Amino acid sequence: MLDEKIETIHSEFLKEIPEADNSKKIEEIRIKYLSRNGLLSSLFEELKNAPKEDKPLLGKKLNEMRNSIAQTFEQAKAKVDTTGKFFENKIDLSLPGITRAIGSKHILTQTLDEIKNIFKGMGFSVTLGPELESDYYNFEALNFPHDHPARDMQDTYFINNNFLLRTHTTPVQVRIMEKEEPPIRAIMPGRVYRNEAVSARSYCMFHQVDGIYVDTDVSFAELKATLVSFAMQFYGSDLKYRFRPSFFPFTEPSAEMDITCFLCHGSGCKICKGSGWLEILGCGMVDPNVFKSVNYDPEKYTGYAFGMGIERIGLLKYGIDDIRIYFENDLRFLKQF
Amino acid sequence: MKVSLNWLKEYVDLSGIPVSEIIHNLTMSGLEVEEVINQNEIYKNFVVGFVKEKIKHPNADKLSVCKVSNGTEEMQVVCGAPNVEVGQKIVFAQIGAIVPNGNFKITKAKIRGTESFGMICSESELEISSNHEGIMVLSSELKEGTPISEALGFDDVLLEIAITPNRSDALSHFGVARDLSAIFDRKLKLPEINLEECENGIKDFASVEILDPINCPRYSAKVVKDVIVKESPDWLKQAVQKIGMRPINNIVDVTNYIMYETGQPLHAFDLKMLKGNKIVVQSTTVESQFTTLDSKVRKLPANTLLICDAEKPVAVAGVMGGENSEVTSDTKNILIESAYFNPSSIRRTAKALGLSTDASYRFERTTNAGGTIYAAERAAQLIAELSGGKVAQGTIDVYPNAVKQPVVTVRFARVEKILGYYVEPEKIRKIVLALGFEITFENDEQISVRVPLFRPDVEREIDVIEEIARINGYDNIPTISSFSVPLGVKHDESSFYDKVRDTAVGLGFYEMINNPLQNEKTAALTGNQIGVLNPQSLDMAYLRTSLVPGALMVAAKNFNVGEKNLALFEIGNVFNKNSEETEIKSFSDFKEETKIIFLLSGKASLKEWHGRDKNYSFYYLKGLINSFLNNFTLDNVLNDSYYHSGNRIFDFIFAKEHDGNLIGNGGRINKEVLNYFNIQQEVFCFELDLNLLEKLSTQKSKYNPLLKYPKMMRDFAFIFDKEIEYEDVAEFIKKNGGSLLQFVRIFDLFESESLGVNKKSMAFELEYFNENRTLKDEEVEKDFNNLITLVSNKFNAKLRGN
Repeated sequence: MLDEKIETIHSEFLKEIPEADNSKKIEEIRIKYLSRNGLLSSLFEELKNAPKEDKPLLGKKLNEMRNSIAQTFEQAKAKVDTTGKFFENKIDLSLPGITRAIGSKHILTQTLDEIKNIFKGMGFSVTLGPELESDYYNFEALNFPHDHPARDMQDTYFINNNFLLRTHTTPVQVRIMEKEEPPIRAIMPGRVYRNEAVSARSYCMFHQVDGIYVDTDVSFAELKATLVSFAMQFYGSDLKYRFRPSFFPFTEPSAEMDITCFLCHGSGCKICKGSGWLEILGCGMVDPNVFKSVNYDPEKYTGYAFGMGIERIGLLKYGIDDIRIYFENDLRFLKQF
Repeated sequence: MKVSLNWLKEYVDLSGIPVSEIIHNLTMSGLEVEEVINQNEIYKNFVVGFVKEKIKHPNADKLSVCKVSNGTEEMQVVCGAPNVEVGQKIVFAQIGAIVPNGNFKITKAKIRGTESFGMICSESELEISSNHEGIMVLSSELKEGTPISEALGFDDVLLEIAITPNRSDALSHFGVARDLSAIFDRKLKLPEINLEECENGIKDFASVEILDPINCPRYSAKVVKDVIVKESPDWLKQAVQKIGMRPINNIVDVTNYIMYETGQPLHAFDLKMLKGNKIVVQSTTVESQFTTLDSKVRKLPANTLLICDAEKPVAVAGVMGGENSEVTSDTKNILIESAYFNPSSIRRTAKALGLSTDASYRFERTTNAGGTIYAAERAAQLIAELSGGKVAQGTIDVYPNAVKQPVVTVRFARVEKILGYYVEPEKIRKIVLALGFEITFENDEQISVRVPLFRPDVEREIDVIEEIARINGYDNIPTISSFSVPLGVKHDESSFYDKVRDTAVGLGFYEMINNPLQNEKTAALTGNQIGVLNPQSLDMAYLRTSLVPGALMVAAKNFNVGEKNLALFEIGNVFNKNSEETEIKSFSDFKEETKIIFLLSGKASLKEWHGRDKNYSFYYLKGLINSFLNNFTLDNVLNDSYYHSGNRIFDFIFAKEHDGNLIGNGGRINKEVLNYFNIQQEVFCFELDLNLLEKLSTQKSKYNPLLKYPKMMRDFAFIFDKEIEYEDVAEFIKKNGGSLLQFVRIFDLFESESLGVNKKSMAFELEYFNENRTLKDEEVEKDFNNLITLVSNKFNAKLRGN
């Protein structure tokens, strides 16, 4: 009799428990089976009246059942959360997640950050300077004489005779050297302006990073090594490079650095205008006249300087074919980086 | 500058050197070859053709159908030129030829129903000249089938070289040839003068006087008499065409030819037009007018250097000749001017006139003061040869202000120090000699050289070192394998901006970078605008005074392309004069400040399966700004202020201040400004001064121990009169909530008629704790109940039912 009852109640419990998917039903089950007046208690009451010889076996069975029910019940109860909902209540895992917005840095900033990190790793400081600059810092101290055609290299927005929008970040070199004694090793990122008609290839402003290193024994060989190391970290270690003589009033000797075109790998294409080479920066040994303008002794100190445009890198790297898109700030563009 | 390889080969033997190597080595020694035009390539598939037959096209009046022989076969060709005739030798573009003018390929074609196998070309189609009158008729002596490049001498390679401003010497074939001679170690052979002069002395024809020796240190001249002005011979026409000039006549073409050969600009005057047969070089003292030979009336500023005759100006020195004295077909006797002018003077004049000519371009870069006579004589010789004229005996050379030739000493150790490698003295010797320097002294440690006048860019030791480096090749400079980094303090002045950027990005803002140049009205909206003297357009004539207008322009552009939900920021500099009237004379007359702008518009979140959409509002702006500022350790140094009244930009304002100084402010953009930018939706902006913020932001200095005892929470809601502001209530609660109350937070705001007219409910959560002990229920309860009474009394507020 009792034996059968145990079986019946157990299977009844097992049928009911999966349907208990909220706290109310769980409580109902607890009351029905596990409470003081519940079914299990009544079974234990009945056990007292069972024939003596059957008691050990029935008792064992009953205890096993109680443990099993209690365990299953606890498991079921644990699946119900504080709001009373059953945890395992099937959810659609394929629904989109709940997001939290994150923005992004402008691609020019990202590029600049990358450049900055490489040079900081090589022991360079980072220095900033004003965009509205004096003719002295932008030109004169950098060995651009008045009425010299070298000034034509950089179309200038003038504020008046003595002030202008800086055409390069090189004036910051002068500002650092005026303040500090060598050794100086710094890069100078920033915005520069050129008075050029706005088109797909040129804009009235862009961003540059200048660099300078001045010490007692800085040579062109070291300049080359530093820039090659930079280029390999930035553009990839398998690149080929070359340094070509060039002209900047503030460096002598001057050079431009080319790397193999990363689109055609040197065979010649539209990006590199068929030459196989891409010009990435200008550089050279600091001209003694610049040292003189900051009262450094050119016999004692030598130094190198370099400068590169940031926009151009993106044009090359991401195939951007119109420089204006950088400054339109169309969200569809900004979100891509 | 365009350079002809065949021309160069007249001065330096380049035999056996592949063209590609010449190009590479020029580039690698500082004369960057930007473009290569190989005429053999261009005129491939163009041959001399012979017109054997010509009939009228059956379907077109203006077309004819010709039989053209290329020497091996005959082809039918439809031709539209009126001047095509049987028996002519013509330029025949065969199938496969690419016509230079228009860059199209000749294919088999049907023209008005008649098949055509090629094209008979005009000069303009070949880009030989702009003549499109009819087809080009060739000399009958040419053999059919001869490649056109051979027949017309188009077997040249033309190089477009970018000449840097220091290398005025390389603005000539002599200069480029000299570099090649040094690079390839081949001898330079410049043409020798071989003049046949007549018995008439030059003094009988002309005299020269220099009144401004500062700006005209040297004036040389030759006279050629009895010239016949006519078309130049083919070789000369082709030579000037190759370098991109238009042939004019045998006099002008020679002066251009010699300029491209030697770098010395020349000018030929019609002697008959020079009053008093006199040249007077002088600068003007007042503004004047002058008609240049392009028939334009030019306004000349004071201090313009002029070439005059006894009575009047006849040329703007170094820039352009005058209409009143130019060589015409009637000219008989000419004076060839070969002068050296002060580069600054010519540059000022050319700039003032907005006129850059081949001559001014060279003069302002400094010409060869030592080469004036050579160029004049060479031109005279050539003009006499080509015009039947006779060269007057002697040369006028007025040279009141001798240009000095510097002597420069180069220390071998210095070469090594600068370049980082040892260059053999023998090599240095060889390079300087090849470049035309004269060695005046040498020993084991150094060498002294006298610099030729055609290299005005070389004045110092470092300049010679550059010459050594570039001719020896930058490739030969080694790269070192390591360098030392001084252990001194490194600084990064951009690090604060980096952190600002990272924080803004983390809050969901996208970074924009705007053009700081804008129109005056826009710049004036937000400050005392600074204008540029020479803007490209009125739209970009002033510097921004705030980042707000730029951000609004970006918003407007995005709205137009359907991007309506924006969270943007920009870090940039703004520029303000001290006052509207300030004239900028020093850095203290204006301020350049670095700011950040935040812009919000549209939806903060879209309607989604899990929730409703939310619009950006003033509270988003305020919250995000506070979140942003929380990332900088400001230790509560900023105070908030609110202004309902607004200003020119915002219709209500939220501001952050420190010690009475504005650090930043923002709010909702007012309707008028939105209209100005053509914006139809609400926009919220906030601009912060990053220079000030950086100063206020400190490093976290001390750790706060974590609370060891439990907190107790209470909450209540009151019904207030609607005009009572949150902040007054919150402040009151903080002040009167007892010493155990640590934080107050509003968690519900509710307005409803059910609360009564003009009423609202605000619910607050209160947090109690003590750092040193566990709180007792009773003490919190006492404070809390006390607070309820105080709030009720103070604000006449009614506690909502518990």
